[in-house]
Order: sequence, then structure tokens, then C-alpha cells
Amino acid sequence: MDYLTNLPFNVKPPTLMHIDLNSCFATIEQQANPLLRNRPIAVAAYNSPRGCILAPSIEAKKMGVKTGMQVKEGKLLCPSLQILEPDPWKYRNIHVQLRDLISQYTTDFSPKSIDEFILNFEGFPSFKLGMTQIGQEIKAKIKKEIGEWLTVSIGIGPNRFLAKLAAGLKKPDGLEEINSQNFKEIYSKLSLVDLNGIKSASAIRLNNVGIYNLDDFYNAPVPKLQSAFQSIIGYYWYLRLRGWEIDDVDFGRKSFGNMYSLPITASEPEQLSPLLHKLVEKSSFRMRRAGYSARGVHVAFLYRDHSFWHHGSVGHQQMFASNDIYKHAYKIMVASPYRKTVANISVSLFDLKKSDFSQLDLFNEITKKVNLSNAIDKIKEKWGDFIITPAMMLGTEDKVPDRVAFGNIKELEQFICTE
Amino acid sequence: MHLKVDVPVSVIFVYDPKGAKVSPLKVRWDGRVYPITKIGLHHHFRMGRTLHHIFSVVSDETFFRLNLNTDNLSWRLEEVSDGLPD
Repeated sequence: MDYLTNLPFNVKPPTLMHIDLNSCFATIEQQANPLLRNRPIAVAAYNSPRGCILAPSIEAKKMGVKTGMQVKEGKLLCPSLQILEPDPWKYRNIHVQLRDLISQYTTDFSPKSIDEFILNFEGFPSFKLGMTQIGQEIKAKIKKEIGEWLTVSIGIGPNRFLAKLAAGLKKPDGLEEINSQNFKEIYSKLSLVDLNGIKSASAIRLNNVGIYNLDDFYNAPVPKLQSAFQSIIGYYWYLRLRGWEIDDVDFGRKSFGNMYSLPITASEPEQLSPLLHKLVEKSSFRMRRAGYSARGVHVAFLYRDHSFWHHGSVGHQQMFASNDIYKHAYKIMVASPYRKTVANISVSLFDLKKSDFSQLDLFNEITKKVNLSNAIDKIKEKWGDFIITPAMMLGTEDKVPDRVAFGNIKELEQFICTE
Repeated sequence: MHLKVDVPVSVIFVYDPKGAKVSPLKVRWDGRVYPITKIGLHHHFRMGRTLHHIFSVVSDETFFRLNLNTDNLSWRLEEVSDGLPD
């Protein structure tokens, strides 16, 4: 590949806009319950001392509460912190309303997660309004039509990366632009780890070749960046920082997975197998609904002592029925050499293929399984998840609740399609 | 304090054909009538095929989560809160 190594900053007028709903889950909870407004609250995976905080409100953030902290840590920093468990349907509804609102301005947009959208206005009549004007209008409409407590940070830039960077410059309720006129000034105020995609390990790599700040990063020639990253990623950074597009990539569905944090003590396969079965049921139902089958199953355990064990294996043929997938997952689980207390169990199905059972086996076994799975799934769709379950799952009714995955909006697309 | 409940309640609501919106006006719970002073959020979801409409509303200093089951047109009160930590 030939690299363009003498590129200036992209001078085209910025046409990309990144919209980020501030403190998404917590703000939506404050929208729903006005009595929670102006109070430090946090949405956590579980309302227990070890529950992971998913979204602190703006008020809680001011008290030092951060995403990823445990509930007990958050309460130490902020004793009046109120914890709420996630209510995924609220967040999905708001996502759909945001999507409807955005589509009034451009049809070229894509959700990056439940609370983030990237919009392209190139070639759309609304672009004539001016990007800042559009941003102000969208903010006002969100407050008027969706919820007066909801605020978004909007970033405008010549590529996706800089639009997202601009959205993060002022939170909450920001509206910032990075363009060929102001990029140097903005870069001078940021550090390497302020860039989305540069964490401490990458920063050390850059430091090793003499890059210590964003000015160095921007001015570094391509060979220096290539030597820092030891791959084409160095060239991608060269383009990103100059406002050229490199991130317009849609990654297809690679796997379906579910995870569960155990509030109880369990270490033996007989204690863990009902939970494993429920995780398999959830993942495989979602997989079948999306029209896939899987050849690979992966099981992972995070233990209470913070150690980790995982294993994945690929079967001889595509798996479709929950029972077949469970048998495969169970074999993996019992192969674990450890019998330690499990904190977290996760299952994922990979090596996906669009389901096509037109080449049926000799004795029609696959047809029977497909028909049975389809019949069970239809009952679930009519009467609700887990209305019909294997006996193995008895006692797991309140385990593995509905959750929204960060960054994963593939299922939201399906939800929108079925509405 | 946040209280999870699941009890049938009487709700007086109004339908506005202009915006095709339904708004609860009053809820009767535990022998007392609470006038709704603010609707925080209205959202919906399906459980199986049944469409549920959820109204998150406030009556002065009390929050209610009301669930309208569109299959049997019944209202249930699911949450009550005063907005203060437990």
C-alpha cells in the first residue's frame, strides 16, 4: 500500500456530527422521576455493595463517583448516593426517540451505542442551515420533544474521530467544533490519553519514539508512527489527526453473548450449571431471532480472587438448538481445572453463520431440532422470555436480568425493526 | 425511600387526539387520591405479545410508576418513591 505522507489538515467544511447523551442511564432516570433531579444518583448493575456503577449522574460525578466503581466505593465518596438498577426499556425508548428526531435532519447516521450517534450531513439540504445551528436545534428539540432534563454533548468535525473528540471537549451540554482553523489550539490543550483509543500502553509506545504530546503526535512523520505501533495503525493515526476519514467501518455481528455476576457463593459445576443453562438460553434465543447459528462456544469465569479462566471450542457442525449449545458449554465448564468461587460467568457463541438448513441430514434430525427450537421461540415471543424453560433452570427465575450492553446496538436495530 | 410494589390501582386519564397522547390525571392508591402534577416519562415495551405502557409520574412529593397492560386494560402500580435515599 502506498501511503500519502505529506497530507495537510483536511480543509473541507466539517460535515460530521457526534451526539452523546450525557450520563445516559442516570439522566434518563432523572427524567422519569423528577424527584431525583439535582441529586447524586447512579445506575448500577446490581444494588449491592459490589455492584458495578454503570452511570453516575452529573451531580454524583461532581462528588467523584465514576463509571466502573463498586457501589460501596461510590457511597464512600458520596454517602447520599442513591442507587438504581437498570431499566433497559426506558433507555431503548429514548434511543428510538433520539433516532427519530435525528432522521429529520439526515438519513446518513449510525448509532455507535445506546447513547451515541454519528451523523453525516454531506449532501443533505439541512447542511445549509450550518452545523452549529443544526446542533442548537437538535438540543432544543430533545428538550422539547423527548425530555426537558436530557442534555447532549455535540461535536462537529471533518471526520468521525474528531467529531467524537469535539463532543468530549465540554460535558455536559457542550457544542464544540474542531476544524482546520482551530485544531492546533485544541490539540495544545489535550494530552495523548485524552484521545479515544490511546490508553496508557499506547501512550508509552508513543513516548518511546519521542512523542509526548499531541503537537508531537500531529507533527510525527508516518515512519515514526509506524515504528511506534509496529503496524498500519500508525498511519491510521496520521490520517485521523489530520481530519481524514478512516473510521467509516461497519463491523458485522461476530458473536452473541451474555454475562452474569453472581451475588451468591458458587464454585461447583452442579451449582453453576443452571446459570450456565440460562445464559445459553438467552444467547441462543437472541442468536436464532437474528437468524444465525453458531459453531463455536466460549465460556469464561472470573473468580472472586480476581483470577480468570476461559476456554472456547468449535464443534463439528453449526449449532442452533439451545440444548446442543448447552451440552457443548457444559463440557467446556467441567474441563476447568479450578473449583474456586465464581464472581462472574459469561457465555458467548461465535463462528456465526446465517442459518440455512436447506441441506438437511439423512434422518431429518436437524429439521426436527429446528422445528422444535422455532416452536419454543414462538411461545417465548408470545408469552415472554423464559415462559418455557428446561427443568435444569428451576430456581433461576430472578437471575440474569435484561441488560443493555455498552457499545452494542445490534439488538436495538432488531428491536426497532420489530416495533 | 424507594418501594417496589405490584398492586392494581384506579387511574383517571385523558386522551388528547391532537398529539395522540394519553395522560394520567389522578391515581387512587391505598384509599387516597393523588392528583398527577407531572409526567416524567412515558415509555412502552412488549412482554411476549402484550404491549405495556409505563407512565413515570409525580404527585407533589410522591413518584409513581404506573403500568397500563393493553391486553386487559388494567393499571398496576409498580413503584412508589419520595426521591430520597433508602
